[in-house]
Parts: sequence; C-alpha cells; structure tokens
Amino acid sequence: MKKSWILPLGIICFLTTVPFYAGTYYTFLTVLAFIYIIISIGLNILTGYAGLFSLGHAGLTAMGAYATAMLSQKLIAVGWLAQPGFHVLLGIAAGVILSCFIGALVAFPSLRAKGPYLAMVTISFGWIIWKILVEWIPVTGGELGIRGVPRPNIGPVLLNTEKFYFIVMGLCIACLFVQRNLIKSRFGRNLVALKFSESASASLGINVYKYKVLAFVVSAFFAGLGGALFAHQQNYVNPDTFGFFDSVFYLLAILFGGAGTLLGPVIGAPILTFLPEMLHRFDMYRLIVFGIIIIAVLYLLPRGVWGEIEGFLQKRKEKVEREIEDEKKIQEVEHVATPYKILGPSAVRSNAVILETHEVTMKFGGLVAIDRVSLKVKQGCIHSIIGPNGAGKTTLLNLISGFYVPVSGDIIFGGRKVNRDKPHRLASKGLARTFQNVQLFANMSVLDNVLVGFEPHCRSTIWQAAFRSGRFTQEEMDIREKAIEFLEFVGLSEYRDTMASNLPYGHQRRLEIARALATKPNLLLLDEPAAGLNALEIKELNRLIKKIQIKGIGIVLVEHHVDLVMDISDEISVLDYGQKIAEGPPLQIQSDPKVIEAYLGESLNA
Amino acid sequence: MSFFLQILISGISTGSIYGLVGVGYSVTYTTMNILNFGLGMWVMMGAMLGYTFYVLWGINFFLAFFLSICLVCIFAILMERVSVNPFVLAGSYVWVMSTLAVGMLMLNTAQLIWGRDPLRFPSIIGEKAIRVLGLGIYPQELLIIVAAFVIMTLLEAFYRKTLTGKALRATAFSFDIAALMGINTTYIAILSYVISGCIAAVAGILIAPVTLAEANMGTVLGIKAFGIAIIGGLESAKGIFVCGILYGILEGVLSGYLYTGIRDIIAFSLVILVLFLKPEGLFGKRTFEKV
Repeated sequence: MKKSWILPLGIICFLTTVPFYAGTYYTFLTVLAFIYIIISIGLNILTGYAGLFSLGHAGLTAMGAYATAMLSQKLIAVGWLAQPGFHVLLGIAAGVILSCFIGALVAFPSLRAKGPYLAMVTISFGWIIWKILVEWIPVTGGELGIRGVPRPNIGPVLLNTEKFYFIVMGLCIACLFVQRNLIKSRFGRNLVALKFSESASASLGINVYKYKVLAFVVSAFFAGLGGALFAHQQNYVNPDTFGFFDSVFYLLAILFGGAGTLLGPVIGAPILTFLPEMLHRFDMYRLIVFGIIIIAVLYLLPRGVWGEIEGFLQKRKEKVEREIEDEKKIQEVEHVATPYKILGPSAVRSNAVILETHEVTMKFGGLVAIDRVSLKVKQGCIHSIIGPNGAGKTTLLNLISGFYVPVSGDIIFGGRKVNRDKPHRLASKGLARTFQNVQLFANMSVLDNVLVGFEPHCRSTIWQAAFRSGRFTQEEMDIREKAIEFLEFVGLSEYRDTMASNLPYGHQRRLEIARALATKPNLLLLDEPAAGLNALEIKELNRLIKKIQIKGIGIVLVEHHVDLVMDISDEISVLDYGQKIAEGPPLQIQSDPKVIEAYLGESLNA
Repeated sequence: MSFFLQILISGISTGSIYGLVGVGYSVTYTTMNILNFGLGMWVMMGAMLGYTFYVLWGINFFLAFFLSICLVCIFAILMERVSVNPFVLAGSYVWVMSTLAVGMLMLNTAQLIWGRDPLRFPSIIGEKAIRVLGLGIYPQELLIIVAAFVIMTLLEAFYRKTLTGKALRATAFSFDIAALMGINTTYIAILSYVISGCIAAVAGILIAPVTLAEANMGTVLGIKAFGIAIIGGLESAKGIFVCGILYGILEGVLSGYLYTGIRDIIAFSLVILVLFLKPEGLFGKRTFEKV
C-alpha cells in the first residue's frame, strides 16, 4: 500500500466511529458538514476549476431539496414503493435530475456573458428560484416550506441520524473520488484550459459552449444531490436556507478551503458548518462573523487553506528538483534523434491545395481589414505571409481558423467551404494554430498543456472518466505516451512537469507548437513564432518548422523576421493595407518593386 | 387611464432611484474595473444616517444631509483602502467577495444599531398627496425625479467639463496609461468610490420617505440596481439611467395589473433574457474579441 493512503484511511476510520460517541447533535452536524462538502464539490468544479463564478448556487440546491421533499411525500402513500424505501431514492433522483436541468438552463445565458455580466445571470437565477419558492404557496408552501419530509428507510429499518450518517459519509467519499477522477481527466484539463484562454482552447478542438454547459450540469448534479440529502436530513425545507447569502456562504466555503484544489471543499465546508453552531449564542452577529472571515481569508489565505499548503509543498519540491537539475547539468548528453512516429511517415510534397481563400474580405465597422485576398496553400509547403504592421496578417489567420467570419468571399479547407465553421470544428478537421501573444494554459504543467491538444481524438465519455473505466485509462495512457513524444519532438521533454508559465519565453513558443501538433493537423498556422526570440532560438525554430514540414504538414507562417521567412518559405504572399500586393517564391519577392515600396516607402527615383 | 398615469409617475420615481444606484455601480466599474457588490448597503446607510440626524436628533434637514454625506465619504475612503485596493490585481472573485463582505458587515451593524423594523422618515416637502386631474401624487415622488435628473446632469457636467472628471474618464480608458500621464490613480480610485457611495447614499435619503427606512432596504434594491447597470451596459451612465426608469415603469405596471409577487420573477427573467440576447447589455459597446 502506498504511503499517501495512510492519512486519508485513518481519517475515514476515525469518522466511522463518530456516531458511536459524539451524540445525536454532533452526529447531525457532521452529516450536515458532509452535505455541504458535496455541494461545495460542485461549486469547486464550476468556480474553482472552470472559473465560472456562480452567485446563485443556492437555487440549484433548492431544486434538489424541494423536488425530493414533494415527490417522496407523495410516494410514501404508495405502499410497495415506500416499504423498501424507494420513495426517497426516487425523490433524490428527481431532485438531482431537476437540478441538472436547471443547471443547463442557467448555462445557456451564461455562455457569452463574462465577469460581472455572468455574475448577474447567476444572481438572477438564484433570485427567481427563491422568489418562486416564497410566492408559489400552493406548491412550495411559501415561507413555511414543506414539513414532514419522510425519513429514508431501507426495508423495515428507519434511518435515524446515526444510520443516515454512514450513508451520507459514503456518498461524500464517493463524490470526492468522482471529483478527483473528473479533474484528473481530459474533462478537468479542458475546464481549466477554458479558464486560461477560451481562444486557445477552441483552437485545440474544445467546444467552448459544450464544456461550459457541462461544467454547469456537473456542478448542478452535486448541488442537487446535496440539496436532496439536506431535505431528508432536516425533514423539512423552507426558503430561508436557499437565499442569496447562502450562495455567498457556499462560495466562502471553497474560497476558505482553497478554490480549485481537490481538498478545498473538505476543509472549507466543515469549518463553516461548525463555526456558526459554536457561535450560536451570537446569532445576531452572524453576517458580521462571516464578513470578517471572508476579509480575513482574502488577506491571510488568498489561495485558501489547502491552496496555501499545496503552494508550500510545490515550492519545496521545486527546490529539491533544482538541486537535482544542477547535478544533471554536468553530465548532460547530446540528444539522440528519434524517428518520431507520432506524426506519421515523412510525406512527399504534393501539389494538392489544402487551403484556399477566394476573394476573402473582412470589415470592422467601416474599416476594411482584409480586402479580397485570394491564397492557395499546398499540402506540405511553407507558405509565408508578410507585410508591414497593420497589414491584416493576423486578421487573415483569424479568418482562416474560424475566429472571424468573413464579410464576403470563401475559405475552402480540405475541399470544403468552411466560412462559418467554428474554431473547434476546424481543429478537429485538421487545422491548428499558434497565437501571436503566446496563449498557454499558464497554471498547467507542460505535459498537461500538450494533453489538452489531443481533444479532437479522445473518444472516452465523461462517465468512463468519472469511474475510471478501462477504455478511459487506456486512452489516457496512450495520449500521455504520445504527448511525451511530442515534447521530445520540440525538445522540451525534460520540462514535462514544469508549470507552463515558468518556462523561458522561447520554450513557451515551442510548447505552443507541440500543443498544436497534438491535434494532428494537416495545416498549421504559426502567428509570429519568432517574435521575441534571440538569434539562437530562431535557428532552432527554423529547424523545427522544417522538421514539421517534412512530415507533410502544410504551414502558413506569419512572420516579421525576413531572414527566417526567406530561408524556409516555398511561397510568400505580401499583404499591405489588407490587400495582397505580391506573391511568389522568396527570390522573386525580394526584388519585387511593390514589396520594396511597401516596406521602405516610395523609391526616390520614381 | 388615471390609474395608469399614477403607475407611470411612481414608476418613473422608483425607476430614477434604481437608475441612480445603477450609475453608482458604473462609476467604480469604469474607473477601476471593479464593482462594489455591497452598494445596496450604501443606499441603506444614507437613509439611516439621514434618519438619525434629521428625525432622531432633529437637526435641520440640509445640515443633516450634509453630515450624512460627509460620513459616507469617510466610509467610502476607508472601504476603498481596506477592502478594494489590496485586491485590485487579484482575480475577479476576490473583490466580489471582499465588497460583499463589507456589505454584510454594514447590514448586520445596521440591524444592531437601528433594529430590523421599518422607520418612518417624513418628507421635507410635505406628506400630503397633491390632487391633479384625479391623480394623487406625493410631492416626494416628484422631488425624487427632479433630484435624480439634477444629479445625473451634474455628474455628466463633472465628467465632461472639469479636469478631475476628465482624469476619471482617462483612467477608465486605461489605468496604466493614465498613471504614466501623471494622473494620481490612487486619488482617482478613491474618488470613484466616494462618488459612487455618495450617489447611493443620496438615493437612500431620497427614497426613504416613500419606502420607509429599514436595515434591509438595500439588499433587494442593490441587486435590482445591479441588474439595471448590467442591462444598461456598465460603461454607459446615461443608458443605465434610462434603463432604470424603464425598469421602474415595468415594475409598476406588473404590480399594478398583475400582482407584486410575480413582479420580480418576470423582471429578473427579462434581465436574463437580455443578457442571453445581448451579453454586453443594451447600450454597451460590442467589442471584437482580439485573438
């Protein structure tokens, strides 16, 4: 058994003994703590990992609680259902499903809204649900709520607080495992990736909208489950526990424990359950106490309790690594070139056109950024686009990769018209790109960054990930192996565990290329890959681009370094003020009078 | 018809309060990209301080008004220093939580000082409804409308005509560039909080005679005004004010012809619908995402 298992097992053993000596009151409170942990897990995935801020989560919890309260109360009259205890199970299931449904409903208006606008969407939802609970008296019982929510039973055994304790504890541990499995799978990686850069995620084949909806639904699942358990624990539900400040309370729980850490909910939720109880006599100061805790946490533990601990451990690990690295430097050996099977065999350059733009035009307001530009990029060729600043080069790349939709003209990729295709669709069709301002997923490891790039080729489902099925594990091992090969390909394999933001700038550029290659592109768009690199790094980049070309991947290169462009390009197109002013092989471009004029101004002899 | 006109006038009056508080949100957002999530509590604070000085202590109204505003300014400075400034560079949820926390502290403190019951705040221009064309209009409602328009005009003039106002707008455009141009951004940040807090507090003093003053009066009002600021598009003060008035009328119509309970449900559903269709608000500028 691994050493890391000893502490959690010990804690679980300790927790199993609690009901035997703690007395009903504290057992009851501990059950409440487990329930809050479950709810916090959902919020942790949504806010902590995916970075989507929810201030209306209590509304989702309320859905779970009210659904099971109403349904199980109705079904208790049906003898054959109630005797084995199915009425409660069905009630909880209904609560979870309803909560997921509402979660998806919240997600849709949240897709395009950002920052405070997103906060408003979630606040409104929470508010509407709360209002409905208060006002729809015939169904929800209004302010009084619903009393006499049945206690769960298994056959003839009625689950009192002590027995219910074990059920909820089991569920809580199961939820923690599911959280861990989800976060450490491509779903978790993709959510975190979204938080750092939606554009980069989309360019790697991640369907941004789908994943946001998914984050909301998964989060609502936990909220609904927590709410349903809450209803059966308290035996009544009323709107008091599902107001705006309760949503704030959930947020405080994960903030306190550490948002975006696996153990954050485990630390935050229990403390916030027990604290108000200990301060029971000071009930009139409740908001003051919470207010002070929030401010204290923000000042003293900005990453939350577990976030700070993790940070500390990370620092220590890095220190040890650095010492090892220093030793390694002395005996470094030259890299042996591997054949790189990952990108397939070397392909011969063909004359097939892989990308064509036909009279493409793009306007921003009244400004014509791209004016009837036509290009043909051949399979396995390096096609460069150069031009003075503001000529429209990046805009053209954004059009090709689907971030903008052209006003007129056509873009044909792989024989299909793709004018309106979204970036993630194009990525799965074999079009990859890098960004002018490097867009890495900063807080993820180098290896994880590359792993995100495999999204278009991953087939395992979220259920397989949550329960670690064989198919998922196999796929994960496969892509890990391949990702390491890609890192070797660009020469970064020794940095696989480093955080992407800690890489030197030149390495970051190469990592971005490795990530793009992981999508297995037919065409790679590079947006100023040499910007900010020194002469040596440019030389390495030169070799890398050629190595990619040999594999038969077409490359569109936007670049200012003329030496690099002239050296490696098969074809060069020159843009100026949004128009293509010249096209041809490097030598021809160098002597083209129009190009010289665009770069150096009008010739004196003219 | 007269029923509708009645609704219209009180709708415009509550609406201009919503609009004012909404503009209060926008003032700090445009300069610092930070929202004060507890702004509703500042409305309450204005009303409560006004109540204490004017009703409880019997000070002359204008002096009481002046005293309240002075106190609000001091609080605003304190708040900016303690709960906003340290978190400007942190992630957005950090300042959401810190400003909310201050709001919670204010709410609970108010409950302890003034209790939870509504308190009567007599209007300075008379309590009797004026009868015109079969309508009963409270003078305070008219005062609110006039005062709100005056405040909006003054604010606009301040932004356009004074050097400090221009500095605020410059900071709104780019904090860093403003700092490089020699604008004292610390001062501007504090100033934006003072302006925002004062607008909210004045709104509180204005509305208190109509709704009664109570510790909880700012919670819902704050959330509604935030919704209006969002719908109007946080960057456009005029848009927010117009939205506030429209929202006030809508609320009046809904509670006049349907019933009060359903009012907020419909109104907030509309907020969500607007954000679904126009995520940047009705009057916000659509920006092309730069990739």
